[in-house]
Amino acid sequence: MIDGLSIAVEDIRFTYPGGVEAIQGVTLSVSPGEAVAIVGENGAGKTTLVRQFNGLLKPTSGRVLVGEWDTREHSVATLARRVGYAFQNPDEQLFERTVRAEVAFGPKNLGFSSEDILASVHEALERVGLADAADQHPYDLPLSQRRLLALAATLAMQTPIVILDEPTTGQDAPSVARIGGIVDSLRQEGRTVITITHDLDFCAEHFPRVMVMASGRVLVDGPAREVLAQSDTLAEAEVDPPQLVRLARSLKLTNMPLTPEEFVTAWQRSRGE
Amino acid sequence: MTIPFSLYAGRESGLHPVHPLTRLTIAGFVLIAALLIPWTLGTYALFAGLLLPLAAWRRVAGLLLRAVFRFVFPFALSLFLIQGLFWTGGTPVVSLGPLSLKAEGLAFAAAMSGRILLIVSSFLLLAMTTRPDALMLALVQKGLPDQIAYIVLTTMQIVPRFQAKANTILDAQRSRGLETEGSLLRRIRGLLPLAIPLVLGSIVDIEERAIALEARAFSRQGEKTSLVDLPDSTFQRAFRWMLLGLTVALTVARLVSVLR
Amino acid sequence: MISVHNLSYKYPGYSRLVLNDISLEVQRGEFVGIVGPNGAGKSSLCYALAGFIPHFYCGSLKGTVEVAGKIIADTTLGELAGSVGMVVQNPFNQITGARFTVLEEVAFGLENLGIPRDQIVPRVEETLALVGLQGFEERSPFALSGGQQQRLAIASVIAMRPDVLILDEPTSQLDPVGTRDVFAALHSLTQTGMTTVVLVEHKLEWIASFATRVIAMVDAKILADGNPLEVLVDPHIQEVGVGATRYTQAARLAQRRGLIPQDRALPVTLKDTQRFFEEPSHD
Repeated sequence: MIDGLSIAVEDIRFTYPGGVEAIQGVTLSVSPGEAVAIVGENGAGKTTLVRQFNGLLKPTSGRVLVGEWDTREHSVATLARRVGYAFQNPDEQLFERTVRAEVAFGPKNLGFSSEDILASVHEALERVGLADAADQHPYDLPLSQRRLLALAATLAMQTPIVILDEPTTGQDAPSVARIGGIVDSLRQEGRTVITITHDLDFCAEHFPRVMVMASGRVLVDGPAREVLAQSDTLAEAEVDPPQLVRLARSLKLTNMPLTPEEFVTAWQRSRGE
Repeated sequence: MTIPFSLYAGRESGLHPVHPLTRLTIAGFVLIAALLIPWTLGTYALFAGLLLPLAAWRRVAGLLLRAVFRFVFPFALSLFLIQGLFWTGGTPVVSLGPLSLKAEGLAFAAAMSGRILLIVSSFLLLAMTTRPDALMLALVQKGLPDQIAYIVLTTMQIVPRFQAKANTILDAQRSRGLETEGSLLRRIRGLLPLAIPLVLGSIVDIEERAIALEARAFSRQGEKTSLVDLPDSTFQRAFRWMLLGLTVALTVARLVSVLR
Repeated sequence: MISVHNLSYKYPGYSRLVLNDISLEVQRGEFVGIVGPNGAGKSSLCYALAGFIPHFYCGSLKGTVEVAGKIIADTTLGELAGSVGMVVQNPFNQITGARFTVLEEVAFGLENLGIPRDQIVPRVEETLALVGLQGFEERSPFALSGGQQQRLAIASVIAMRPDVLILDEPTSQLDPVGTRDVFAALHSLTQTGMTTVVLVEHKLEWIASFATRVIAMVDAKILADGNPLEVLVDPHIQEVGVGATRYTQAARLAQRRGLIPQDRALPVTLKDTQRFFEEPSHD
C-alpha cells in the first residue's frame, strides 16, 4: 500500500529558452489519490505542465509543491522517489539486456533493498503482462510491448504519484484495456495518477477528474462528467467529446454517461419517462 | 530559416546570381594563393582588393570583418608577440628591458597572419554567401554522387537532433532516479543508460530514414529535376576557367622558383 | 490496383511467419482500412505492398504481389516510388534531412521523380494546404512538433501522386483535429477515383466513417474482409483484439439486456448508433 501525495501548482509561468511562453499562469492542486486526465490539442502546454511535476522543468515564476517539496529545491533524481513519469517513447530509455534488469533500474537507483527490488519488479511485470518475457532482451519485444515495459519500469519505483504521458498511443484494444485496468488499480491503492491523453474515451472511463488545456492555460478543471459535457469549452480546446457523450447528446439524454453501462442505464431511464 | 552548422547569412540579393561553383572556385583560388604567394603584401592586397569588395557586394562585409576580427586577430596578435619576442638572433626594433621585438620575427608573423587571414576569410565568405544545399546541388550537377551530397546535408541537420535526443534520454533516466550530478563515479555510471539508447536509437533512425529516402524515389534511375535553379553564364564559366588557369600558373611558377 | 496471391513472409532470422498465405484484391479508388491487434502482421503487409519486403527487408517470401501494374518482386524501390507511396509509423524518421525547409522537403520527392521545376511549387503548396501545413513552408522540418512532422511526412508522399498510398498508423501523434485533417485529405484523394488508399489504424471510429472496406488481420492472416459496418461489429473480430467503438459496445449491451431486438444490426458510427437507439422496438 502506497499513499498518494498531493501536488500544488501555485501560479506558475514557464518560458522555454527560445522565448515561447508555454505555461501562462496555471494554479491547481491535486489531492492524494486523485486521478486526473489532462486533455487538449497538440501544443496546448500539457507536456510542459506535467514536466513541472517531477522537476524536469522548473517554473520561470511561481512554484510547484510535490507533497511539501518545492521542485526547485530537489533534483529530478530525488523527486523520482515521489513522482514516477512514464515517457511516451520507450526507445528513449530502454538500455538493459533483459526486461527484468530494465524494470529493476529505477528501484535500484532509489536504493530499494534487494528483496524489495525483486518483489516490485515481479509485481510491475505482472501488472503489464510481461512476466513471461522477463528474461528477453527489451529490443526483441515489439514497440507496443516496449511501451508496456517502460510503463512497468515506472510502476516498479512504487512512487506515490504516477504520470502517464499518452499511455494508449499505438496500443491495440486489449492493451488499452490493460492500461485502463492498471490506472484503476493504482487509484484503488490510493496513488495519485496523472495522464496526458488524446483518447477521450479512455479518459472518460478511468479518470474522475478532467482538466482541459489550451494555449498554456487551464480552460476548465473538474469532475469528468461535468467537464466532458461542456461542448463549447471542448470545442475551444479542439477536443472531441467522448463517443458516449456525443451519442447521449444526439439522443438528447440529460445524464452524461461515461461508460457503456451508464449510457444504457441513462437511455433506459429516458425511455421509461 | 536557420541552417545548423552553417554560416549562411541569407542575404542573397538575386540581382547578380553567382553560381556556387564560381564562388567555390574563387575560394579555392584564394586558398591556393594564400599558400603560394611569396610576397607578404600580396596576401593583404588580395584580401583588401578581392575578398572585401566581394563581401561588400554580397552585403556581408561587416559580418566578414567581425568574424575575421574574432577568429584571426587573436591568433595574429599572439603570432606577432611570440615570433617578435622569441626570434633568435634577429634585429631588435623596439626594446623594453630584457625583451625586444625582432624585425625578422615580425616579418614572419606578418607573412603567416596574411596567409591565415586569406584562408579563413575565403572560407568564411563562401560559407556566408552560399547555401550548403545549393553548393551540393552544383557539385551533383557536375557529377558528385547524390549520396555524398545527402550525407553532408543530412549530417548538418541530424547532429542537433542527436543532441535533442540525448537530452530526452537523459530526462527519462533522471526520471527513473538516475543521479547525473555529483561524483565522477556517479557520472560514469550514468553513461551507459544514456549511450545505449542513443546508439540503438540511432541505428533504428538510420534504417527508418533509409526507408523514407526510398519512399521519396531517392534511388530512382533517370533524370531528376531541382526546385532550385542555379543560373550560370558563359561569362562565369570563362571566369572559372581563368581562375583555374591562374591557380595552375601560380602553382607552376612557385614550383619552378622553389626547384631553382 | 493491388493483387496479392498466397503471400507468406518471414523476417530473416525468425521462424515465425508474419504474413501467412495472404490473398487480396483491391480496386482503384478503394479506401481500405486494416485493423487488428499489435503483432498481427499489419505493418508487414504494408511493407510487402510498398516493396520494402523483399527489397529492403530480406527474408523468405512466397507468393506474388502486384501493385499498380508492377510485379513488386521484379521492380526496384526507385521505380516503385512513383506508383506506390508509403508512410511509416514513426514520423520523426520520415523527415529525410536532405533539405532545409518544409517546402523543400515536400519538393524532394518530386525532384527525384523528375517533375519539371515550374510544376513543383504549385504541387507542394496544394499538398501542404491539404494536410493543414500552409504557412510552414520556410520552417525547418526538424523544428516541427511530432504532429506537424506527421502531417509533413504524409504531405511529402501525397505530393508524389502515387496510384496507391499506404499508411501505417499515420495519425499516432495527432490530436483529433489533426486526425480529422488527415482522414479528410485521404478521403478527398480517393474521391477523385485516381488514388487507392490502404491504411492501418487503431482509431475504429475514423475507419468506420471513411474506409470503404475493412480488412481485419490476426496472427499473420486475414480474418475478415468487407464492409466496415459489418466487419467492425463482428463479435469474433472483437474477441481477437480488434476492439469495438464505444457505440458498438453500448448497442451490444442494450441488446444483451433485452432492450433492443437481437436481429437489429449493430452500429459502428455515431449516426447509425443514434438510429439504432431511436428506432422503436416492436415489443
